Amino acid sequence: MRANVWSGRNQVQVENVSDPKILNDRDAIVKISSTAICGSDLHLYDGYVPKMKRGDILGHEFMGEIVETGKRVSNLQVGDRVVVPFPIACGDCWACKHELYSVCENTNPNSGLAEKFFGHATAGIFGYSHLTGGYAGGQAEYARVPFADVGPIKVEDDLTDEQVLFLSDIFPTGYFGADLCDIRGGEVIAVFGAGAVGQFAIASAVMMGAERVIAIDQYDYRLQMALNKARATDIIDFAKDPDIVEQLKELTGGRGPDAVIDAVGMEAAHGHGAIHAIDRAKQATRSESDRPHALRDAILACRPGGIVSVIGVYGGLMDKFPSGAFMNKGLQLRAGQCHVQKYLKPLYDHIKNGDIDPSFVVTHRLELGMAPDGFETFKHKQDECVKVVLKP
Amino acid sequence: MSSKASITVLRAREEVERLWRDSKYRSDSIEKADAAVRFVDAPGDRGTEIHVDVQKSAPGGKLGEAVQKVLGTEPLAKVKDDLRRFKQLVETGVIVRSEGVPEGELLERKRGQRAAQPLEPSELNEVGV
Repeated sequence: MRANVWSGRNQVQVENVSDPKILNDRDAIVKISSTAICGSDLHLYDGYVPKMKRGDILGHEFMGEIVETGKRVSNLQVGDRVVVPFPIACGDCWACKHELYSVCENTNPNSGLAEKFFGHATAGIFGYSHLTGGYAGGQAEYARVPFADVGPIKVEDDLTDEQVLFLSDIFPTGYFGADLCDIRGGEVIAVFGAGAVGQFAIASAVMMGAERVIAIDQYDYRLQMALNKARATDIIDFAKDPDIVEQLKELTGGRGPDAVIDAVGMEAAHGHGAIHAIDRAKQATRSESDRPHALRDAILACRPGGIVSVIGVYGGLMDKFPSGAFMNKGLQLRAGQCHVQKYLKPLYDHIKNGDIDPSFVVTHRLELGMAPDGFETFKHKQDECVKVVLKP
Repeated sequence: MSSKASITVLRAREEVERLWRDSKYRSDSIEKADAAVRFVDAPGDRGTEIHVDVQKSAPGGKLGEAVQKVLGTEPLAKVKDDLRRFKQLVETGVIVRSEGVPEGELLERKRGQRAAQPLEPSELNEVGV
């Protein structure tokens, strides 16, 4: 089959590889109908996530048709149309029993490696380095789906691929970011990053009853999407004014947002001044892996007693964490890879009921063979790119 | 360096102790190491903690030095692999395999991972599928 593989920093290529096979009784094989490039794939592409290997198949947002099932997969039949969540979860361990699927205790067969980096192993993730298990990803014609009896959700209604594809990651991830903010109605929520995850965090915060949602980005086309599609109430364009913290105070009568969502992660672009220069230099020389501007500003901007919700991906260590602001303002820092399996059914129902149509983020549709171009366009934000969908 | 390894399995202690003796689940490296193994009820509803110490031998067993001989220089890492495999088998019924680590958690693979792409048909037998 054809698959998009990582072959070094800023290099991916579509190659012919073997077709996937069932490796144990709880696997299924999916013939992929649609797959996407995630913002977090850019961290792999840019070389900031450790333990990548040449030849690794990328991709953790995919859907398609079941073509083979292992002996113990009884909930799915050949021919079923499914969306596959990006974290691989066993459903049986203590974490899974508590709906903490992205920290499943069993699905990372490189847990010895992961413990060295994170203290503990987290769940396996498709196409996302050997630190999260070394699983082949879904930017391909076929994929093996382990624990297929736990993860995939069947699509039995008349919905298009683009309406349901993002249940695999970015819609639940954005929703999870908003869910961590304990929205009860009437809050002001600020969202750093108006990429696809940020768009869904904004749309979800609005659905949950936030009164005002402020989108923060440096690309006007993304901010316009946030206003017009995700229903943000306010925007901050830091290309025009880099002092985000001051602008957030201005927009909230000096209080600061009740909660701040970091939908940016380790490659934040907006830092300025001397500290930014130091972070850039340290990241370039690999002595600091995470570029922490979004998280620093989120902590500085958040109102005292508020919540900082981190769904942007970080991979290692950062410098100058504002511990004084964090502690003295009494903030709660919440984070995680989304526990997608927990949100699949309720979010599927939101789509089915017409509360939201996630396809609004799609700006580029390419054949799988064009994946390398998709990565370049997305990385450099060319052609007003927000989301690239690949068709095998 | 510590000589101890532990893991928690989400099953009652009686069941964990029974499966530990079952040849289908039994850990080769720990048995060869003849290490001391303790089972402890985990707090709350978290199942059972398994504690292994490779320097202490099982009652009436061999001594710690023998462990090093049998297992080479990294006996503890091997024991950890086996604890994880035991937990996987008991909790999920399968050994968890990725394309990068098709044999399942394996010390040797930490040094040389496969690329995360499907196995060649000829590799399937080698990895025990």
